[in-house]
Amino acid sequence: VALGAFTVGALGWAHWSGWSPEPVTEVKEVPRSIRENPGSYRSSYGGRTFMGGK
Amino acid sequence: VTVVCSACGATLDAQDPDLALIAAWEGKRGTIQPPIPLGARGRFKGASFEVVGYLVREYEADGQPYFWTEYLLFNPHKGFRWLTEGSGHWVLAHAVRGRPEAADGGAVYLGTRYRHYQTMMARVRVVLGEFPWRVRVGEQTVVSDFVAPPAILSREQGEQEVTWSVGEHLDGRLVWEAFGLPGAPPERQGVGPAQPSPWWRELGPTATAFGALAVAAALLHLLALALCQNRTVLERWFEYDRRGGPTSMVTEPFELTGRPSNVKVEIFTDLANNWAYFNLALVREHGGGAIEVGREVSYYRGRDSDGPWTEGAPADEVYVPRVPAGHYRLIVMPEPSTPRMRYAIRIRRDVPRHAYLWGALGLLAVPVVAIVALGARFEWKRWQESDHPWVTSTDGEDDD
Repeated sequence: VALGAFTVGALGWAHWSGWSPEPVTEVKEVPRSIRENPGSYRSSYGGRTFMGGK
Repeated sequence: VTVVCSACGATLDAQDPDLALIAAWEGKRGTIQPPIPLGARGRFKGASFEVVGYLVREYEADGQPYFWTEYLLFNPHKGFRWLTEGSGHWVLAHAVRGRPEAADGGAVYLGTRYRHYQTMMARVRVVLGEFPWRVRVGEQTVVSDFVAPPAILSREQGEQEVTWSVGEHLDGRLVWEAFGLPGAPPERQGVGPAQPSPWWRELGPTATAFGALAVAAALLHLLALALCQNRTVLERWFEYDRRGGPTSMVTEPFELTGRPSNVKVEIFTDLANNWAYFNLALVREHGGGAIEVGREVSYYRGRDSDGPWTEGAPADEVYVPRVPAGHYRLIVMPEPSTPRMRYAIRIRRDVPRHAYLWGALGLLAVPVVAIVALGARFEWKRWQESDHPWVTSTDGEDDD
């Protein structure tokens, strides 16, 4: 019952808080110059070479 | 009536005024010490019974001898009871009135259906005390056991008569307490034929709790569906052209409202037999930081000897968690394997996730599934010792 109550509570919390298990990277502060010119933004993911697919 | 002297082991006919000798004890004197001594008194179901007789019986299975013991108990008002013990499992039984009916290889007695457990040729190995019938060492009977845990029905066929008895599983500690014996009863080995499963007792309350919690989870999910915004805040197509146009795209500003909640970003592409990696950054318009995520989209299709096949999908989605309200832009930085690509981005705010409900139901079901599995394992052990094992050993079978 305790496990069940915890599970139902966790379900409600996940819905309410918008929690998601997907990993994201939070950048604390984006410089004003970049915010005013978003096209100059460079992602911390940038430069990776995706080797997936065939 | 048979009396066996506990001192010299001689078997005597008590109906003969001279106590005629039926059989002399051929074993070593003084070696038989019943764990519950003759003459001991114990209380069962509110009545006091005295141990008046003791038997050790033997049967053979797979070439191995197995033993069990039987204590004959007597109460002047209640009559006789059998207290049997085998591998630490105890049963208190009494003779049945009437005759159980045969049904589907089992038996039915007083409306209860018993499943056949085993049939064996049993031989008396040790006799001590007094018995209301003639019994002697070496006497053989065919014993059939039928079970409906915690009850057990036994049929015993001798040379001249068939007797039935019905009994109930007893915990050995209760037997020791009933007789006030020192020490502990013999340790249980395996699962007894009539031993009640501790798991089936747990299944009912656990399944009820699961049902109630599953309904609570479903109602909570419905409430979330009713309260969430589930609103599309932006939807736009982009052209990617590595040879000409810009490769990074920036959306126009959009507003996210309400409490901090998720943002669902959906990516649709026209990729075919290609892949693309999408770097996404959700940047707050007026001060603050950004949230970055990356998704790969790959979609391949073709045809081979087995027919058409596909791998992956031309679309993908990602949930950005706990995004506070405010004005944002989404910066999209695709890295495709193809020089040209069309793709669309759709952004939705506060989207309910049905997977959470399925996950919660799966977690809630874990105790029920575990109890069913443990209960099945318990029954498997019970029936492995019977004439009807769930899995038959193939040891010793001819490989040909």
